[in-house]
Amino acid sequence: MFDVKNFHISVGGAEIIKGLTLHVPAGETHALMGPNGSGKSTLAYALSGRDGYEVTQGTATLGGEDLLSLAPEERAAKGLFLSFQYPVEIPGLSAIAFLKAAVNAQRKSRGLDPMPAPELLKLMRAKADALKIDQEMLKRPINVGFSGGEKKRFEALQMAVLEPRFAILDETDSGLDIDALRIVAENVNALRAPHRAMLVITHYQRLLDYIKPDRVHVLARGRIAASGGPDLAHELEREGYDKYLRAA
Amino acid sequence: MNLADLPNRRVEAWKYSDLRAALAEAPLPADAARPAGAWGALDGVIDRLAIAQGRHAITKVRAGEKEMLIERFDAPSPFGAYVREIQVLPGGSLTRIVVQSGDGVDLSAAYVSLSAGASFRQIIVSEGAKLARIETHVSVEGEGADVELNGVYMVKAGRHADLTSVIEHKVAGGTTRQLIKGVARKGGRGVFQGKIVVARHAQKTDARQYHHGILLEEGAEIYAKPELMIHADDVQCAHGNTAGGLDEGALFYMRSRGLSEGEARAMLIEAFLVEAIPEDLEAVIRDELTGRVAAWLREARI
Repeated sequence: MFDVKNFHISVGGAEIIKGLTLHVPAGETHALMGPNGSGKSTLAYALSGRDGYEVTQGTATLGGEDLLSLAPEERAAKGLFLSFQYPVEIPGLSAIAFLKAAVNAQRKSRGLDPMPAPELLKLMRAKADALKIDQEMLKRPINVGFSGGEKKRFEALQMAVLEPRFAILDETDSGLDIDALRIVAENVNALRAPHRAMLVITHYQRLLDYIKPDRVHVLARGRIAASGGPDLAHELEREGYDKYLRAA
Repeated sequence: MNLADLPNRRVEAWKYSDLRAALAEAPLPADAARPAGAWGALDGVIDRLAIAQGRHAITKVRAGEKEMLIERFDAPSPFGAYVREIQVLPGGSLTRIVVQSGDGVDLSAAYVSLSAGASFRQIIVSEGAKLARIETHVSVEGEGADVELNGVYMVKAGRHADLTSVIEHKVAGGTTRQLIKGVARKGGRGVFQGKIVVARHAQKTDARQYHHGILLEEGAEIYAKPELMIHADDVQCAHGNTAGGLDEGALFYMRSRGLSEGEARAMLIEAFLVEAIPEDLEAVIRDELTGRVAAWLREARI
């Protein structure tokens, strides 16, 4: 489903990711763990096509289709979704208007007609209810004055409405209290499906108590330093990342 | 009237808007007898030109009454100057809408005097002209008066929009809220000059002034001169002024959700500008103003 091979990423001339290879099959959820500064967010941004994150070598494909030659919006239309670690505030643009535009932009790229407004509104309401998001919040400008938890819930809402094929969740747990974490995790779990895959980026094991990964990868010094089953996350929680930093 | 009587850029109040150069080829009106002004406030360059052209209007809002004034400066003309004096009596309220767009030299000035408990709300949407200047002078003469001066400017190549205002709080307990937002394209020039004066006796004045500009392309120009002159000691005043590019982080966020770059830019710019058009305006007016912003963006295709 999702394949990255020998991936190298430079930011401002400095190489951050140095030959990373990762395969996430359809139907699976993988965790990517690593210490601060190991390049987790750099990887997420580069995969989404952000300017300034230069892929100098390697390939990235989704369902066999190359992602790197595509603009960010084309990647989104192919079914790639990034849940941001720090969602961006957009004063003056309501969450609901934005989400509506996003859904219809993606439909357009897939050759579909826009979703009729009442149907779309109904869909958004149902998904918002499941995430315990107040309808009033959706009328407010995107992320402006949202608490950390509200921002992450809004990310989860966008993911639920856009139904991506492959989702990268970058530090979804940061800023969430334990109740919000549980709600967001439940909704992410509800999206797990045989045709979908996810990559959950985190540096704590805590999130993985709620979103149970099929595989865990350790990112250190720009490469996958180790991969294993869910137990690997527990080991990291106990022993830290030191050994991978030294080994790398 | 002679060209030499007009201010050049060495005159502080006109340093970003070169009126003498802009009018060098325009037929200037002959001098007319100059009234002192209904309330004695006229003292500027635009007044003289407007009165010479016979374009001098007076509006009086009676005590406790609520009125709306819509002024459209968008007829094609090589040169027009216009002055309006406005008096809002105690407890009265006036909403003034100014819509401006043109190719020539387009000048207007309003002199507003507010009595106790009066309110004046103004929303400008300006697309500029060869040289457009919209001056607003507000004098808070009665206690507890409210001023809200908002504005949007959007200038393409060859257009110049200058939003200049002076708000004088002469007595206590007044409030001012000012939010001006603007965008400039390559070859377009936006100017904001906003002065707020709080006199020594104008205690408990609460004044906030914000101007935010976005330079949409290389070669766009925005000049801002915010000024707060506070002579009272028990006041709340705040101001903020920014000019920069479009928020690249927001742009990427939107594109990562599937919006094309053009669509994302237009939505971002529209959201940015429309913030200065109050939500609680009468719907038909608000729709006209936001519609102008949307139409400008459609035509600009940026």
